Amino acid sequence: MYQPSKVEKRFPGVHALKSIDFEIKRGEIVGLVGENGAGKSTLMKGIYGAYQPDGGTVLIDGKAVGFANPRQAMEKGIGMVFQEQSLIPSLSVMENIFLGYEQHFVRFGVINWKAMATAARAQLAKVKLDIDPAATTSALSFAQRQMVELAKVLMLEERVEGDLVILLDEPTSVLANDEVALLFKLVRELTSRASFIFVSHRIEEVMELSDRIYVMKDGAVVDIVTKGGAQVEAIQHKMVGRKIDKPYYREQRQKPYDAGKVLVEMQGVSLPGRIDDISLTLHAGEVLCLVGTEGSGREAILRTIYGMRTPKTGHLAIKGRKVTHFGPRHAVEQGVGYVPRERKTEGIVAGMAVYENMTLSQMGRHSRAGVLRIAEERALARDWIKALSIKAANEFVDCGNLSGGNQQKVVLAKWRSGGSDIMQLDHPTRGLDIGAKEDVYDMIRDMSDAGLGILLVADTLEEAIGLSHSIIVVKDGMVQKRFNHASGAKPSLFDLIRHMI
Amino acid sequence: MDFQRFKPHLPWITLVVLVAAVGAFDDTFLKPASLLSLMGDIVPLFVMALGLTFAIYIGGIDLSAQSMANLITVVASLYLAPLGIWVAALCILIGFGLGMVSGYVTTRLLVPSFISSLAVGGIAFSLARYLSGQRALNMDAAQRDSVFGWMIGKSWGIPHELFLSTVLLALAVFVERRTTLGRVLKAVGAGEPAAAVSGINVARYKILAFALSGALAAIAGLMFAVKLSGGAPTIANGFLLPAIVAVLVGGTPLTGGVGGVLNTAIGTMIVAVIRASMLYFEIDATQQQMVFGLVLIAAIALTIDRAKLRTVK
Repeated sequence: MYQPSKVEKRFPGVHALKSIDFEIKRGEIVGLVGENGAGKSTLMKGIYGAYQPDGGTVLIDGKAVGFANPRQAMEKGIGMVFQEQSLIPSLSVMENIFLGYEQHFVRFGVINWKAMATAARAQLAKVKLDIDPAATTSALSFAQRQMVELAKVLMLEERVEGDLVILLDEPTSVLANDEVALLFKLVRELTSRASFIFVSHRIEEVMELSDRIYVMKDGAVVDIVTKGGAQVEAIQHKMVGRKIDKPYYREQRQKPYDAGKVLVEMQGVSLPGRIDDISLTLHAGEVLCLVGTEGSGREAILRTIYGMRTPKTGHLAIKGRKVTHFGPRHAVEQGVGYVPRERKTEGIVAGMAVYENMTLSQMGRHSRAGVLRIAEERALARDWIKALSIKAANEFVDCGNLSGGNQQKVVLAKWRSGGSDIMQLDHPTRGLDIGAKEDVYDMIRDMSDAGLGILLVADTLEEAIGLSHSIIVVKDGMVQKRFNHASGAKPSLFDLIRHMI
Repeated sequence: MDFQRFKPHLPWITLVVLVAAVGAFDDTFLKPASLLSLMGDIVPLFVMALGLTFAIYIGGIDLSAQSMANLITVVASLYLAPLGIWVAALCILIGFGLGMVSGYVTTRLLVPSFISSLAVGGIAFSLARYLSGQRALNMDAAQRDSVFGWMIGKSWGIPHELFLSTVLLALAVFVERRTTLGRVLKAVGAGEPAAAVSGINVARYKILAFALSGALAAIAGLMFAVKLSGGAPTIANGFLLPAIVAVLVGGTPLTGGVGGVLNTAIGTMIVAVIRASMLYFEIDATQQQMVFGLVLIAAIALTIDRAKLRTVK
């Protein structure tokens, strides 16, 4: 009934969707998987009207439709449950459910709150949520808010003609196991009311829930798998277009680290509400991975070492010296480099040249009395452009115009050229294409060979396992489990997930 | 042609078109002597706009500039007699200090700069009224000439203010292009989070940007006081709007990160030409602010980087 065909979308420099054919039947659950950057979110945005496709058609029950904005898509029964929830925390549950549809409850210009509460209860009953519709949304748990979001979309059932299509974007990423089971049960029951598109990078979950799975890679649908038609490995293989094996993560290049040389030592460090009693040791040449769900405290650990947060208790020593003053400037002076997850906002400064970006953390080294030696900076940038084969015409190119992989290389060059020997990498391969990812993996091995200590928060568990000497699993800000597999005996996905959730 | 690529060239093209247009109507306009006196008259405004550029370049604003200049005219008139040339140092110090206050409130107390600088401006204005006893003050003409005579007057037909403003512009260009400070201010304007994550003490540099803005507003006030041989708490009123217009039509957007002090030089010339043409077309002084208000709106709408704004309130 809902059928986009030959859908195209281009952004400057990227062909984001290549002639996508998609179909969803009444009451069906369709899975959508793909790596970061495969085009999943672009396709979703095209479906719910946030983007307008450049080409192709969208048919609903055989009729061509086009949406200029999400509201128009909603009028046709297409609703989205957002990963970053779209509810407004300060409003009540019912106000959120009927946001934009208050008109039905207005009498003489005033909202009839009783009628709205009754209607909201009916919507909440659909998702089996027994809460007061007048409750403030911020008081609910994350899982409850997700249900409210789902109820908000199901509200369309009574408002629009025709069938509902509901998009679920990574709905399980922050749910506990039993909450995931509840959500799945509910979604199955709701197929009598709506069809679902389920997007996730947890392939096992997608396989469990979906009737059919669309596999995307580089902006195209590369395969459609029916339920029970393929193994996890086979789908993974299609997602990355090659077998994920040892050479992919450069495991043959992994060498034992120098256990005698401690770079970072953290003992009993707590930040109330974020991390609790965290201890860890990072050695020269070691790749230490922090593994955990979103919000488990991985980022807080990195930011503490980088001095952006001051721990309440515990102590931190960098290269044997106890840290007393927390602040990025001190951390940088101690040789800590930080490649943040938000590459475009925290990694590079778009609008500044490549050479200006590379020396941003070390201007003191290239200046006297505040006057910069620009020729020296440019020479350094030229060397690193060559060393990391950064695709930039010259050192004056605006960093914002480089591709993601090359921007990441500039960020790495910024720290390496400054001589940082403790490198914190937060999702360094996020949003990069396969080739650029492999470059980053190579660089991680290079840094490890050069004796740098690397603290990594990987994009996927496979990446964490493949790259690391040791792994620390964090949950709710606490260390759950430590793995040390410098010997080569690496833990399995299951070993990690067990402790994560 | 792509508008985004055309945009950086818009300021000087506007200037050339305006000069040619006014020149076509008014044949005395393009004479060197009249152009020079036009530029000489605009110097205090230019110096104020130069300072404002630093605040706007980092994505902030300094609304205290006009009140600062007012206060400085009063201070200069009051203390010229006891301090002599040292009154200049006092004025610059006051401007720098009050600018630091705006910067401190903005960065440490997290009050947006438009409101913190507005408040500091209020303080400066009130201080000016208190110090002056709400009277217009006069400098002793003989003493003014002996201490600050070099600021006014002409050599080879060129107003001395122009030399002074050229020196200030050259210094500002040097700071912007060649120093750590300039590089950090650009990084803060273009992408503050990345600058902070690079280990830069962003707050300190932001405070410095507001302090520079205050110091240059003070120099503008001093020049004003010398030129008019006196001061009053409202003497520079009507300067703030054209000064902001000068920065923005020059091509430094409110969102910061691009443009710079040379752009402001061009922007100030555009303002000067607009002002001269208003005189020629006999637009009443009371109506001039209306024109600047409209130009300001157009300039903001054209230059602002909407990618940096999540919502506009």
